[in-house]
Amino acid sequence: MRMVVKGNGAVAHAVRLSRAQVVSAYPITPQTSIIEEIATMVAKGQLDARFIKVESEHSALAGCISASSAGARAFTATSAQGLALMHELIHWAAGARLPIVLANVNRAMAPGWSIWTDQNDSLSQRDTGWMQIYCESSQEVVDSVIQAFKVSERVLLPTMVVLDAFFLSHTFEDVEMPEQEVVDSFLPPLELPHKMDLAHPAALGNLVFPDRYMEFRRKMDLAHDLALGVWDEVGREWGQLTGRTYRIVEEYRMDGAELVLVTAATAGSTARPVVDQLREAGVPVGLVRLRVFRPFPASILRSLLGGRAKVLVLDRNCSFGHHGIFHQEVKSALYDLPQAEQPRVCGVIAGLGGRDITPDDLEEMLTGVWKDRITDPVTWWDVLSAQDPAKAALAMS
Amino acid sequence: MVELNPKYLEDVPLTSYSDNAITAIKTGTWKYVQPVYEDKLPACSHVCPAGNDISKAMDLIARGDVAAAARLWRAGNPLASTLGRVCPHPCESECNRRQFGGAIAIHMLERFLGDSSLDESFLPEKARPTGKKVAVVGAGPAGISAAYSLALAGHEVEVFDDKAKPGGYLRTGIPDYRLPKEILDRELALVGSLGVRFTCSTHVGKDITLDDLKQRFDAVIVAVGFHRSRPLAVPGEDHPNVYNGVMLLERILAGERPELPSPVAVVGGGNTAIDVARSLLRLGVEPIIVYRRSRLEMPAIPGEVDEAEKEGVPFHFLTAPSQVVVEDGRITALECLKMRLGEPDESGRRRPLPVEGSEFRLPVAGVVTAIGESADLELLPESARDGWRVAADERFATPVDGVFAAGDAAFGDGTVTAAVGGGRRVAAVVDRRLGGRELPAAAPSLQKLWQRPVEAAHPVYVEQLNVAYFTESPRPQIEEMDAQARRSSFDEVVQGFTDEQAVHEARRCLVCGTCNECCNCLFFCPDVAIHKRNGVVGFEIDTEHCKGCGICVEECPRSALTLVEVES
Repeated sequence: MRMVVKGNGAVAHAVRLSRAQVVSAYPITPQTSIIEEIATMVAKGQLDARFIKVESEHSALAGCISASSAGARAFTATSAQGLALMHELIHWAAGARLPIVLANVNRAMAPGWSIWTDQNDSLSQRDTGWMQIYCESSQEVVDSVIQAFKVSERVLLPTMVVLDAFFLSHTFEDVEMPEQEVVDSFLPPLELPHKMDLAHPAALGNLVFPDRYMEFRRKMDLAHDLALGVWDEVGREWGQLTGRTYRIVEEYRMDGAELVLVTAATAGSTARPVVDQLREAGVPVGLVRLRVFRPFPASILRSLLGGRAKVLVLDRNCSFGHHGIFHQEVKSALYDLPQAEQPRVCGVIAGLGGRDITPDDLEEMLTGVWKDRITDPVTWWDVLSAQDPAKAALAMS
Repeated sequence: MVELNPKYLEDVPLTSYSDNAITAIKTGTWKYVQPVYEDKLPACSHVCPAGNDISKAMDLIARGDVAAAARLWRAGNPLASTLGRVCPHPCESECNRRQFGGAIAIHMLERFLGDSSLDESFLPEKARPTGKKVAVVGAGPAGISAAYSLALAGHEVEVFDDKAKPGGYLRTGIPDYRLPKEILDRELALVGSLGVRFTCSTHVGKDITLDDLKQRFDAVIVAVGFHRSRPLAVPGEDHPNVYNGVMLLERILAGERPELPSPVAVVGGGNTAIDVARSLLRLGVEPIIVYRRSRLEMPAIPGEVDEAEKEGVPFHFLTAPSQVVVEDGRITALECLKMRLGEPDESGRRRPLPVEGSEFRLPVAGVVTAIGESADLELLPESARDGWRVAADERFATPVDGVFAAGDAAFGDGTVTAAVGGGRRVAAVVDRRLGGRELPAAAPSLQKLWQRPVEAAHPVYVEQLNVAYFTESPRPQIEEMDAQARRSSFDEVVQGFTDEQAVHEARRCLVCGTCNECCNCLFFCPDVAIHKRNGVVGFEIDTEHCKGCGICVEECPRSALTLVEVES
């Protein structure tokens, strides 16, 4: 069925179609309308789930952890400060190997207080053991949430489905909403192998001595390795059912590309026409959009980027004191290439706190890298600077 | 890609769990506070003059065990059916359910319990005979109550009364529309079944002396009540159409239908005045209540005043009689003065002061005096009298050794419930004396007489409850006879609860301060340290594993749990 929905609405419908059994959530802008819609669906009987109102995000995830431990399909959603407040339990959910799905609406961290998008909130949770998937459109949101449950329940790791604040969360788009029967055939009811069993009482998450701890962690890491293949398989299976196949990374006009823009999320939509335009102007540009970020698709990126002349990584985030986070990850993957195949990698940090990244910006960045006007390892884009008299004057006013 | 389950990891589970560490680690050693189940005093029982164990009985009814509730009620209260009808139920004014739909109709449930247990099978077990004998002077509520508790304690009890039948004011002063006498008779029969002897038509002080009793009995309890009407002390009072309210009620209650002129002024603001007025109304006489203070200061039970008003009795407040006007040998009016209220007097009520020159005449053909009663203390030596009352200390002991006193004659509380409670307490004191032990410094509190260890120091008020667990539920409508129909009938005004109504109403009880096994603590305990054992009432806390987090205390709806410091 075709529907016009916001990114947030897309999340809610996907949760309904996935037949989540427990939704435990706390509202925060710009996530709020996700859980409002889900609460309405539960109240109207459209979703047979227990909706738990809690007093904080910490409790929201605790509710999901409990429900999931008991074998229920659990979902929550949050954003920025809310995700940060969950941090302790983010680790717990992964360590307990619970297939929880969480939608995080990317929002900049305070202070200064901001409700607009950037990726530092979700990327701060990079090392918790969660899988992360960054979406570009409402359609991708719907499809990714459903796929996330499937992959999570296969490999027993939680997934964070990430969407940009406002550019995606609050923008209405035309979406093909899958039929319930299709989703049901794709996503069977959860059978958690280690769910609580009243016949065999046990303490969960008990003390583990140094002789065992590493083994649990090794198993988490192995599950991530396995998950990469599962994401690929599930993305193809979804394509057979719906005609929409998903890949771990999405490539665009990579044939003959000598300069490749690597980015994620809605910036991918902005980039595609710019790539077309530059191709017409004779610049051999291609686009790689990172979709699955954890597990990290290092070998895929090596095969896509190996042998190209230049790579520009556009980050809507920053690991302070170093580079943009996607930038450093991409660069580390490419280090394993033979030196002759290693492209030159430049990073641009742009669009933090919801600032627009326009087609003109992208064209200027790509042209700059192509013509060697931009050669610094990291460039902060469009920041008021004393070297720029016009902008300095603006800053003074 | 690496294989998920390499050999060396096969034995490692997916995530950490332990099926043996739960009990092995004594997490209870970490705590410095721990929860304990406390039986706290509910606010209702805290103010119950008869000492009824209200919440516990409500809980039993709510669980459907009416018989157990009735037995509990009758453990120290022989007049449940009677009190369920005549008590002004101060408990309901304190009920924590007030703000969640209205107080529990406790008096209706007391009546229900009483009426459900009018046979001997509901009586508590009697203790073995002690061989001690107690005389009780006065077969009113205090005397009956004392006799009941003493008989249960194994003593031989004889009750003396100057009237032809026992019951005291319950028989001679409370009209049938409030208390049908067959109810009283059945409750007295229960007391009699315990071996209590009623010796009626015997006036102690005239037919037999106190000294005689002292010789024949090991202890004497004086509970003669208030029966003497105080005079108006105004000119014209000696007219034959000026009636003594107490005596008039007694005649009506004995079945007489005295012919009075109409209208009649009923002077007074207490229960006697209201009872007389409502009775006269039923005899076709028009009563007019004349009271010198305002409605607020009336000592009568407010509900009874409401009923009188509902039945159409007119009131003249702030009005005091100054003269009975007699013309041609007939009363034509009651001359009155208007009053105003001054500063509070020793009773705490505002003193009425006459308004000069405010005399007016209320046209009436008769007058009933009901301005208060006093005790007939002729049986006692001067040393045992203290003005209008028996001289008795906090232990109910009079200056005469072996003679105790209770009820209105000693304390003038003016309610049946206080008399029943007083009887219970004097019995406890006398029982101690008969056991050869020293008298306590003060009579025990009523809750100390309960068969459960209640923490009586801290009644549970709504502030102590976790009200998040209570939703509003309305107090039921209580069935009453139509006000118009009452004018020609002495039938009971209020209808009792059916079994179904009673259980429904008892389920509204919040059971403040006492565990009713709602299981919240058990559900919330994060350490699984609270256990329910089959066949054992309440829960057990596994102190070896309770960390003292206090969640159970916080989540207990009814404050039945308390955190206490752990002794190191």
